[in-house]
Amino acid sequence: MSITPETAEQHKMDYAVVCCRTEAGKIITAGDLEDPAILPDLEDSGLLTIPDNCLKIGEVLDAKLTATIDSLTPITPDIVEGANAIETPVEEIEEEEEVVKTPKKSATTAGNAGIFKLHIGKGEDIDLEIPLGVGTNGVASQTVTDTIEVKADKTTEEKQEAKKVRELIKKHYKIDKVEFGPETKIDGTTLYIRENVCDDAVEVNDLVKSIKIDIITKDEYNKYSETIMDVQPIATKEGEDKLGTGVTRVLDGVVMMVTGTDEGGVQIGEFGSSEGILEQNIMWNRPGSPDKGDIFIKTEVVIQEHTNMERRGPLAAHTATDFITQEIRDALKNVEDESLVVDEELIEQYKRPGKKKVVIVKEIMGQGAMHDNLILPVEPVGVLGGKPNVDLGNVPIMLSPLEVLDGGIHALTCIGPASKETSRHYWREPLVLEAMNDPEVDLCGVLFVGSPQINSEKFYVSERLGMIVEALGVDGAFVTTEGFGNNHIDFASHIEQIGMRDIPVVGMSFCAVQGALVVGNEHMKYMIDLNKSKDGIENEVLSCNVLCPEDAIRAMAMLKAAMEGEEVKDAERNWNPNVKENNLDLIEKEYGVKVERVQNEQSLPMSEKRKEKYS
Amino acid sequence: MKYGDKIIYMEGIITEVEDGAVGVDFKGRLGHIKVPRRMLITDYPLKVGQEVGLNMSFLEVLSPEVNEKYRSNLDRQRENKEV
Repeated sequence: MSITPETAEQHKMDYAVVCCRTEAGKIITAGDLEDPAILPDLEDSGLLTIPDNCLKIGEVLDAKLTATIDSLTPITPDIVEGANAIETPVEEIEEEEEVVKTPKKSATTAGNAGIFKLHIGKGEDIDLEIPLGVGTNGVASQTVTDTIEVKADKTTEEKQEAKKVRELIKKHYKIDKVEFGPETKIDGTTLYIRENVCDDAVEVNDLVKSIKIDIITKDEYNKYSETIMDVQPIATKEGEDKLGTGVTRVLDGVVMMVTGTDEGGVQIGEFGSSEGILEQNIMWNRPGSPDKGDIFIKTEVVIQEHTNMERRGPLAAHTATDFITQEIRDALKNVEDESLVVDEELIEQYKRPGKKKVVIVKEIMGQGAMHDNLILPVEPVGVLGGKPNVDLGNVPIMLSPLEVLDGGIHALTCIGPASKETSRHYWREPLVLEAMNDPEVDLCGVLFVGSPQINSEKFYVSERLGMIVEALGVDGAFVTTEGFGNNHIDFASHIEQIGMRDIPVVGMSFCAVQGALVVGNEHMKYMIDLNKSKDGIENEVLSCNVLCPEDAIRAMAMLKAAMEGEEVKDAERNWNPNVKENNLDLIEKEYGVKVERVQNEQSLPMSEKRKEKYS
Repeated sequence: MKYGDKIIYMEGIITEVEDGAVGVDFKGRLGHIKVPRRMLITDYPLKVGQEVGLNMSFLEVLSPEVNEKYRSNLDRQRENKEV
């Protein structure tokens, strides 16, 4: 397909290949040239080989062709007259380590999708076999790890005092033993759970047919479990304190874990569930997963048959579990012995006038069923008082960073165990912490926006998001999403809405191989891939591919660079994990810090399935 | 995969729409697929009877081995059903 003069100008350093049969004597214009974006696909398919002496688009424009050539012929110096010399840009001086390509395994075929359009003026006996990758709307799937350059911040410091907006105190209580007893209470570092609490919890909702609690200690991590629906902190507000302010009491060393099936034994986790041996299926110490050593209070909720796919089913399982959690919260409220507080954590939110103002946009699932979240319950990660974002029409809702970190999001957590953000994830969200504690930026809030099913609804919420971000007058934005699928359509749209207002925006998502984006736009330049798995796939290990502190650091460095107007390198055509490693090295070198890398599934005891895959 | 690049355009009919998933029968009695809503892209509200299109290929068995983890989960599910 021919290109426009504008495209030719943008791609003047790319190879010139004619799109159609071109006669000798023709003065070459943009209309005669093939779109450089699809040349790599043509090369992959063997239809085109570009010789070393192939001229660039900038060189051949307005030159005269001296031979008649067929379509898709690269233009070389011997067949043109009057080629222009163009200046090659000065080599980048900045040190950039060469990217070492990992040998690609034949099993992981990354989609080299693209459009192939061919114009045949005249011809006979033409056989064409052209592999086309998957892709939507003809947009090439993008790999999303861009390379950034980090420069130490040398902007003139404006001396404006940071102003504290509000603070939150988290009082930590250590629990090292969980037992059943006649009543739910906390005695020293032991938590007792009422023996017959399940008899009452089952009454909470008609859909709940039975409920069972397992207390899992470190020694029992090798037990079987139904698919993990959610991991939740156990925390409560003191007195009349509202979420996001005042004092929160939290139990350390113990988490709630929601699991369940329907009466027919079908997992509530919908698809890609993570049932099996616990220690093979959990990526420890991720923001949203249990820490190694935590005691799990694991509920196994059985709901009415066939309601596992209905919206009311998963919600019933969460509500029944919350009945038990609430009883523990009440016990925690009644603790009077201040000596049991092992740590008092002060979290402060500052306004930093004169600094770059940024906003975090978190896209959450809103297609229905377990693709839903309860926003701002009364208790941290509670149910009561929380409004489902699906019912709120998925429109953007602003939370203060402290509300997020205080359990303001109760996630019903959807499919894709490795990339879903559990309730605990929001409780310790690394990007919120990174942005809030960075003295060089002014984090104005965290905007939650749901991802509806239908495209028109997606664009409706996305446009509202754009208007809010415009009204906020920020200098930069982060957009994150969990998992992959049609939510990438609104993810791209959010970035576009922000980017078209000339606000630099960094996008964060799990993409790698399996989650490659289905759409893209010109504003998706600054992208962070959250993948940690070795092969770039949804590996069914809880929280493996979620946003971790190392990703937050990369995103922050990239946004700072973007706000300073620095360009990033184009993404490579296929996913290459070394890009991330190089970026982290650059950050370490420039900032003089050590960035801890998190482990991936390779550190876990191997299930048979993985042994097979990686042997 | 030996035949990984044989991509075929397929059409199907939506047979069930649940809050969490959508079921599709392939035209030509070529099977049934059920996917999470997140994996289905649509400009229109979902209704039973709507047609969908997708590119897909043949399924290939990767090895003669049985994956015991998945096998045991399936057996467990079957037992639960029989109870």
